[in-house]
Parts: sequence; C-alpha cells; structure tokens
Amino acid sequence: MHIKIDHLHCSYEKNQIINDLCLEIKSQGHLTVLGANGSGKSTFAKAMSGLLTFEGKISFNQQNIATLSTNDKAKSIAYIPSKLESFDSFTTVEDFVLMGRFPHKEPFRDYSDKDYEKVADILEELSLTHLASNSLHQLSSGQQQLTLIAQALAQESQIIIFDEPTSNLDPKNALFFSKLLKSLQTTHTTILITHDLNLAFHIKGSLLFLARQKNHYFESSNEFFTQENLSKLYQAPFTLQTRSPGLAYE
Amino acid sequence: MSKYLLFLSLFAGFIMAPFVGEAPITLAGLFDPNSLEFRIFTELRLPRIFLAFFTGLILALGGLIFQTLFRNALMTPYTLGVSSGAVLGAGIAIKLGLAVSFLGINTTVLFGSTGALLTVVLLLFLARFLHKAEHESLLLLGIALSFFYTSALTVLFFLSSYVETHQILRFTMGSLSIIGFDTALIAFVLALVLFTYIYFQRFALQIISISDEQARLKGINTKKALYSLLGISSVAVGIMVSIVGPIGFVGLVVPHMVKKIYQKSLITLITPIALFGGFFLLACDTLSRAISSGSEIPIGVVTAFIGGPFFIYLILTRKKH
Repeated sequence: MHIKIDHLHCSYEKNQIINDLCLEIKSQGHLTVLGANGSGKSTFAKAMSGLLTFEGKISFNQQNIATLSTNDKAKSIAYIPSKLESFDSFTTVEDFVLMGRFPHKEPFRDYSDKDYEKVADILEELSLTHLASNSLHQLSSGQQQLTLIAQALAQESQIIIFDEPTSNLDPKNALFFSKLLKSLQTTHTTILITHDLNLAFHIKGSLLFLARQKNHYFESSNEFFTQENLSKLYQAPFTLQTRSPGLAYE
Repeated sequence: MSKYLLFLSLFAGFIMAPFVGEAPITLAGLFDPNSLEFRIFTELRLPRIFLAFFTGLILALGGLIFQTLFRNALMTPYTLGVSSGAVLGAGIAIKLGLAVSFLGINTTVLFGSTGALLTVVLLLFLARFLHKAEHESLLLLGIALSFFYTSALTVLFFLSSYVETHQILRFTMGSLSIIGFDTALIAFVLALVLFTYIYFQRFALQIISISDEQARLKGINTKKALYSLLGISSVAVGIMVSIVGPIGFVGLVVPHMVKKIYQKSLITLITPIALFGGFFLLACDTLSRAISSGSEIPIGVVTAFIGGPFFIYLILTRKKH
C-alpha cells in the first residue's frame, strides 16, 4: 500500500512534537524511523494508525485516512506498540492473537474456524505454539513482544508499524525478527521505529530521523550511516570501526 | 466439575427458597388453590424469588460492565455513586409525592434511573480533567459524589414530613417484598435486554478489557462502546435501585468470585456471572427471611455485611500494575 504524508503536524499537550513532515513510501517500500528519546517516533506511529489527532493529510493508496472507517483503517494498518498493557490477567496468548482477526470478523458472529487456523499458523511461525494457552501475564517481556507481533500478523493489514520491536528480544529472537521483517517486506509496506542502529543499518529502504526542530529524510538508509551524521544528529560520539560485539544481521 | 456441582446446588436453593419464611408452606396447601398458603406462595413468595434473581443478575452484569470498561476491579455502579444517584432521584420523587404510574413505570423509577444516568454523565465529564492513567481518581470522584448525595438526602429528610421520612428511610434500606408479578416482569425484561446487549458486544469488550489503545487499533469505536454500555447498564441498575432500593456490593463480589472459580477472563464469563449474580441475591434474600422472625432484615444490610469486608479484602490484595 502506497503511503503519502502531507505537511503532518502533531502536538501533545500544546507541545509541537512533529513539525511539517512530508514524505512518501512506495507500495512494498520500507521506512526506518530513528530519533532521540522524545523526538516523536511513537507519536508519528500513533498518528499514522489513527490513535492521535493531527493536522495535515495522510493517505493510503490516494485515499485520505480521515475518510476511512475505523474498521477499514484497522484492515489497512497494524501498529505494534513497544509493550503490552493489560488489566485482565487471564487472557491467553491464543485469545490475544485471535483479537487481530476482529476487523475481519462478521458482526455478532463468533470467530470462524479459518480465523483459528490462521492464528495457529502464525503461532507456529513465531514458535509460540507451546505458549498458546498461557496467560499474557506469565510471559517474559520478549515473549510478549513476539505475541504483539503475532497479533498484528493475524490482522493481515498491508501496512505494519513496528515500534521498537527488538527492545526486549534476545539476540537469537532479534535475528529471527530481522529475517521476518525482510520476508514481510516483499508483501507489505513496513515502518520500523528503533534505537537498534545495527538492525537499522541492515534493513534497506528509506530512513527518517526525527528531531523537534527539523526532520531529516534520506532516500536510502545508506546515506544516513556516516560517522558525521550519526554524531551530529544523536549528539553523541560515534565510531563505525568497532570491535565491540554487534549482532551479525544479514 | 465443581462448577456444575456449584450451579446444581444453587439451583436446588432456587427451588427451596419459596418455602422459607414466616408462614410455613405445606405441600397439601400448595395443591389447594383456595388456601392461604397457596396465595402466599404464588402472590408473595414466587414473585419475590424471581425479582431477587433478576435483580441480582442485573447488578452483577452492571459490575461486570463497569469493571471491564474501566479496567479496574473496584469499579461498579455502587462504588462509583451511580446507585446513590438513583437513590437520591427516587427519594426526591417520594418527597414530591409524584406517584403517577404509566405502564408500570412510575415517577420514582423515572427519577431514579435519571439520577443514575446523570451520575454517569457527570463522572465521564469530570474524568476528562483527569490524567488518563489515573483510574483510582475516578473511584475517588465516585465516592465524593456518594457523599454529596448522602448529604442531599439528609436535606430531603429535614424538609420531609414524618411519614415521608419514614417512607424514604425504608426505601434506602432496600426491600424485595412485592405483591404480584408486575415488578418481577420488569426485572426480567431489563435483565434480558442487558444480557443480550452485552452478549452481542462480547468480542469488542474482550479487546476493550486489554486496553483502550488495542481496541482502537482493531477498529472499535471505543467512545461509542463506552457511552452505550455505561448508559444501558446504568439505566438498568438505576431502575432496579428505584424499585428495590440500594443493594450494594453484588456487582463487586459476584464477578470477582466467578473469576476466581473459573480462572478465566471476566468478559468470557458473562453467563456464569449473570446466573451466579441471580443466585447470590436470592440466597441473601432467603437468608434475610430465614434468620429473623417478625420483621425481616433489609436485603441491603445483608449484602453490605458480606460485601463490605469483601471490598476491604479486594483493596488489600490488589496487585500493583
């Protein structure tokens, strides 16, 4: 799905967080979003997925999302928050992933056998099958993060936004995630919000560095990864010749 | 298995309940339509157990809805002051002496349900000034409203005549004693409407019980769901409160106990909570008739004696999120 953002402004409690952002992501394209803490990365994701009000215009396939019904919006875009909050302590992993099927469910009907099959396949793919009947509160934060990803995959939206997906994942799962993201890129339009520069470096696509005063957009993420850019934008010293351990993303 | 045993014993209680009370009922009397025993059984006891059952069901479902929508185990129409709003409304109607009745809906019920609904509207309005995460503050607002209503009721007592005061006072204690099936029928219809509405919304409610954000991401209009569900449950609870008086803590105790028994999430337990709520109030009512002779203990007192300590237990054993 093609995404076009025109003059996006977002503010939160009278603070301007995102200022005049314009960009386009082609169908099956990818955008990586970087930025310091509080630079508006999650705000950007929430505006895209309809959780926040904003000024400006966002369109999916030339259709203004302000005119989309809430259900159609859910079918177009899935947002995976960085962590899970839940009041109910007995919701199981399977029930939770099944909720991703809600936008596709017929009103007043139970989830269909097809929905259950879909969920089973996704749990299998993410190696969560053995946890299916565990409650969310029994999971580690890494397992919770994978469960959130599973739910978004069940939603079958063409656009997926990952908000710091690897922040709680161990190296093996982080590597698994990068492979998953790459395979999704062939069929979906993806947006990755992260602080994991090593991961961002290995994901091809365009890149947006958010900063309160100015948005820095790079057509190709390669253009961003220079020592000068990193040090200047993050306001911290960087080196690209490193002997410190880094995960070998492919 | 123990669940079925539980419901079986509750059902047995349901069968036995109409035989408990001041006047003994014999089987012989039951088969003689002209006997006093028969009339007591059909015109007093039977309507009463049905009223108790459906009232308990409505109060338990009201608790379920409030707890799910606010994602907090302490939120019920009773603890948030919605019941108190209904009491004040009904009290005003009694004081004004407006006893106009239309299709079984009299002014007491009209004022009572309006009081409940206005309280919810007021709570939602005040909640807009709270920070999102501060659900406990909403509970404090509800308690503050309850205090205010109690004071207003005291003013009402002050302004009322001796007879009116007595009437209002009796009302605030709660009573399930009725004559004939009219009131029980109203309770049945309300229970049916409330149950059906919640049942059809159960998948959306399941997601709402996770978080507001999750629900909106799945395309649910959470504002619409909140307003409609709070509205319908408050009106149902308000109507029952204005008929039988404030009966507290059913909406707090029942969902929690059923959740403990089944070890499942609240919103997947709509039917057990409804049934158990009905049986719970019926048991409390039977208890109130069984342990006292002469005049019965007000039903609100019985549920409060069970629910009060339970409320304290819930507060003390809460998990911090």
